Amino acid sequence: MIGDTWIVARKEWLEIFDQLIRFKRGGWSILLIIGFLGVISPLQMGTGWLTSPLMFFYWPLLTTSMTSTLIADAIAGERERHTLETLLSTRLSDTAIILGKILAAVMYGAAFASTNLLIGWSVVNLKYGSGTLLTIPLFRLAALFALIGAGSFFIAGLGVFVSLRAATVRQAQQTFGVIILLLMMTPVLFVQFVAPELQEQLIASASTLGIEVLSLRVSAVVAAVAALLNVSAIRRFKRGRLALD
Amino acid sequence: MSAAPAIRVRGLVRDFPKVRALDHLTFDVPAGIVFGFLGPNGAGKTTVIRVLLGLVDPTEGETAVFGLDPRTQGDAVRLQAGALLEHNGVYERLSAQQNLDFFARAWRLPRAARQARVRELLTQFGLWDRRDETVGTWSRGMKQKLAVARAVLHRPPLVFLDEPTAGLDPVASASLRDDLARLAGAEGVTIFLTTHNLSEAERLCGLVGVIRRGRLLDFGTPSDLRSARGAPVVRITGRNLSDTQVAQLRGQPGIDDVALDGRMLVVRLAADGDVAPIVAWLVGEGVAIEEVRRDRATFEDVFLELVAEESPNGAMQGARGAAPQ
Repeated sequence: MIGDTWIVARKEWLEIFDQLIRFKRGGWSILLIIGFLGVISPLQMGTGWLTSPLMFFYWPLLTTSMTSTLIADAIAGERERHTLETLLSTRLSDTAIILGKILAAVMYGAAFASTNLLIGWSVVNLKYGSGTLLTIPLFRLAALFALIGAGSFFIAGLGVFVSLRAATVRQAQQTFGVIILLLMMTPVLFVQFVAPELQEQLIASASTLGIEVLSLRVSAVVAAVAALLNVSAIRRFKRGRLALD
Repeated sequence: MSAAPAIRVRGLVRDFPKVRALDHLTFDVPAGIVFGFLGPNGAGKTTVIRVLLGLVDPTEGETAVFGLDPRTQGDAVRLQAGALLEHNGVYERLSAQQNLDFFARAWRLPRAARQARVRELLTQFGLWDRRDETVGTWSRGMKQKLAVARAVLHRPPLVFLDEPTAGLDPVASASLRDDLARLAGAEGVTIFLTTHNLSEAERLCGLVGVIRRGRLLDFGTPSDLRSARGAPVVRITGRNLSDTQVAQLRGQPGIDDVALDGRMLVVRLAADGDVAPIVAWLVGEGVAIEEVRRDRATFEDVFLELVAEESPNGAMQGARGAAPQ
């Protein structure tokens, strides 16, 4: 099972890699994002780029966007390009196929975040290091990657449901865009509509906990929901149903 | 014919919303032959392949592939089968080598065997020199070749090929036919082939089944079908042929149909029809006969006759040939 999952994930990576090196379907946009977030943003923010709480918002957001791109392409795209049925006619199990696609998507998101962070960290050090090595505290980095990982895992599971219902990649990505927007807006709207006293309490609690601990707790909740979502997605990804679709 | 058929189908029914795609199909395909499944578009050929591969469950009836039930033992069935389905299914963003390498990994071929097999097939299909090109840039025929190579990659004992020569040039088609004949003849592979190319089916297939609207219209060897259904056609060329003679010949015993095409009289004989009395009568009528040619109906004639004669109430009952009871 693990070997089969890896075989599928590897294939997804080869496909997306081809798109990136040919600057098709998102290849250019990836370069632009890396250029902006990995180079321009650190140059503007200076050493604050390594410590800013903003990192806990935009890295997970960007990473999950990348995950959603790949998962939509891997499922809705495979159907749109008429390769899914051939894949289903092999000895690979339904579970190995879907796990391979989820794994590829999560790894893609993680690789994107890591690359960006590495480039950004290098830029900050080159520009502002003045001979000393500036680092992101390890606990902070761990909390950041926990949030990124949980978010990607969640989006990958959600992506299976969205993509199974979409006839094309474009349709899947449009639906995804709306869902991600709603997910991002919900906490903001929630905070705005609660009583001012409760708002102050929440902010005070968050401040007391610190962004890292808060992030770890949020990651745990997201990971739990993601696990449920992915188990449901695996159960839903069945040959009989897919061939009829 | 071996005792255990490679494929066994009994009373197979598959319903989709508002349409019955397969309607009580019953047939056997012996191991080691090329079986041709013929029928017009939408006849149900692809649905049969999907059911046999365990991709779609039947509504009623039983199927077995090498004794395995695709409904409950789909994984084991797919382990023994290669498939080229309705679409070629090649990954257009990958190179030819990456395509085959992915499937070879999926079939768990060891590294050395995988590399050797990929090279062997790409060379055999004339694609080796272009192995690193992205398949999306290829012609339809080249993609089709790659898809056929993928279907036989792991040397399965059963191969499903849905329109394998579609998009291939005549030379490539002939080459593929040779390959398929060799696979069945020398390696004992059972090939389940759907095609619209009737001459291809006649040359290649040991057995054929004709299907329309999910019903089996006939089943047997191509020569059986021609012998049973292919009424002889006589083409008589001459001077002084007229519509009056055509009218007089129509309805005569031994004659199914007559038509005048310029200076050629085309007479479709009944099974017991004889050409000599017709020629003698025409000479008596003052026709100067220049040529008389008697042809057997082509396999295409037989196929067209079959799919045209099906009554709206049901398929031919008790299909002949090897169709089991």
